[in-house]
Amino acid sequence: MNTQTEKRVGAGAGETTLFARGLKKSYGSFEAVKGVDFEVHRGECFGFLGPNGAGKTTTMKMIYAAAVPTDGELKVAGLDVRSAEREVKRRIGVVPQENNLDEDLKVKENLLVYGRYFDLPRKLVRRRAEELLEFVQLSDKAGAKVDQLSGGMKRRLLVARALINDPDLIVLDEPTTGLDPQARHLVWDKLRQLAGEGKTLVLTTHYMDEAAQLCDRLCIMESGRIIAEDAPRALISECVSPEVLEFRAGPEALEKLAPIVESTADDVDRVGDTLLVYTSDAEAVTRRVRESGVEVRNTLHRQASLEDVFLRLTGRRLVD
Amino acid sequence: MGGVRLPSPRGAFRVWQRNATIFRKYWKTILLPNLFEPLLYLVALGLGLGAFIREGGINGLTYTQYIAPGLLASNAMFAASFESTFNTYIRLKIGRIYDAIISTPVNAEDVVAGEYLWAGTRATLYGTAFLGVLTVIGLFSEAPLISSPWALLIPPVLLVIGIMFSVMGTLFTSLISSLDFYAYYFTLVITPLFLFSGIFFPIEDFPSPVPEIAWFTPLYHAVNVCRALATGPSPAVLVDVAWILVFTAALSLLPIRFMRKRLIS
Repeated sequence: MNTQTEKRVGAGAGETTLFARGLKKSYGSFEAVKGVDFEVHRGECFGFLGPNGAGKTTTMKMIYAAAVPTDGELKVAGLDVRSAEREVKRRIGVVPQENNLDEDLKVKENLLVYGRYFDLPRKLVRRRAEELLEFVQLSDKAGAKVDQLSGGMKRRLLVARALINDPDLIVLDEPTTGLDPQARHLVWDKLRQLAGEGKTLVLTTHYMDEAAQLCDRLCIMESGRIIAEDAPRALISECVSPEVLEFRAGPEALEKLAPIVESTADDVDRVGDTLLVYTSDAEAVTRRVRESGVEVRNTLHRQASLEDVFLRLTGRRLVD
Repeated sequence: MGGVRLPSPRGAFRVWQRNATIFRKYWKTILLPNLFEPLLYLVALGLGLGAFIREGGINGLTYTQYIAPGLLASNAMFAASFESTFNTYIRLKIGRIYDAIISTPVNAEDVVAGEYLWAGTRATLYGTAFLGVLTVIGLFSEAPLISSPWALLIPPVLLVIGIMFSVMGTLFTSLISSLDFYAYYFTLVITPLFLFSGIFFPIEDFPSPVPEIAWFTPLYHAVNVCRALATGPSPAVLVDVAWILVFTAALSLLPIRFMRKRLIS
């Protein structure tokens, strides 16, 4: 998967589908987005990773004109989101964070009626609706009522709806939040398929695995700012050591442990009852801890992840 | 963002079309209660109360003849008001239908304009059905309830009346934060209009300033137009039509502005 990811980063370097510079959004005196720059190329999947309240959703809303930027530049396919509002919306597909399917309409009707908002020819919409229901595996639910669908099915229908206009850019705001693991994997599967077809995707998430699985490049957002941006693996190798040891122990044991590991570790973080040790030589660290005789309840040795990047950059965990 | 944006007819039509698609599924179930309501008034008051004012009637009309066209106007008012209050609020806040629509080329201003048109359409459909019922009842009464061929103009007039009350209802909807506030709208605005707009008794005969106040209210003019068309109009009806058009046009951009603010941050 990783070789494929890197190939696509290279391939997408041409056309810019989404462009932001100095983008700001304030609500009264509260600055939700404090001047962000990003660029998404055609065929790329770009992620916004960050905790709740980081400004991810506000940024997405500005892209699909549900929020008006306070300052800065924001362009979709070269078009300014403010002056070319309708044209921009014509070219994007939106999967919102909250389900807003039309409950008065059946599953397939949701797609047909939505297609009309884009002034698409009837025949074309009918054909696409069938193809899209097939794609999101809801063909057998075509005549069902929306409220009979499970959470995962609703989310897939939202994905299908976002594709009815064959958009240049698909904006997904937390596409799998609140879904159970199977439903999440099914949505990921569909999004990966779209990415594979060369669609341009922008998504927000607070799940590291989601970002790592789907995104060619991603940025980390915190309190309205982008604090890092790169390919997932590059971010990890730039910001943290390749391996992480997690020691779980009582507060006193952790106090004693910290100075012991510090000399062999690249970095040490303490989160709750856990001491995170970043190192390229996990064995040496483990040995030192064992020799020290400090009582450790539980040790975990793993590869560094985006979660660690976030923790390093902000000093806190992504999801509480 | 200052300035009012004008709706695109195409976008408004798409919103109208969405509502029509849903209405087509349920119209049979919704239409009946909307016919019964004005019929109940017609029977209870026209026949019941009318029995006591038989002598001479009002302005040469029997009491039932007098109130029937007014009920056409109030029926349009109720139809458009329910549509632009409860139904619109549910689409706005509960179903989040508008959020979905405005992420397409259809803008917030188109949504509001489409809802105006839809409420007007609903008022026309109900009103026309009621007009048909009135005509049929007239055939079996001593005097026809609808006596002028000008009555053929009533359906398009009901569309305009519906749009007028939709603008008012949408304005209220764009300002409130809970469904409970509609109790105020219906008790303080809609019910007084229903009672004091010359449907059940001529408001002109009241001492000043009652008729003057009535002149500044929307249903009064709607009742005048409907009664004139049902019984044969005089040129004076043009003043009422003009009043309705000016009032509706003057108010129509305000809800668009407020709704846009609610939908787009």
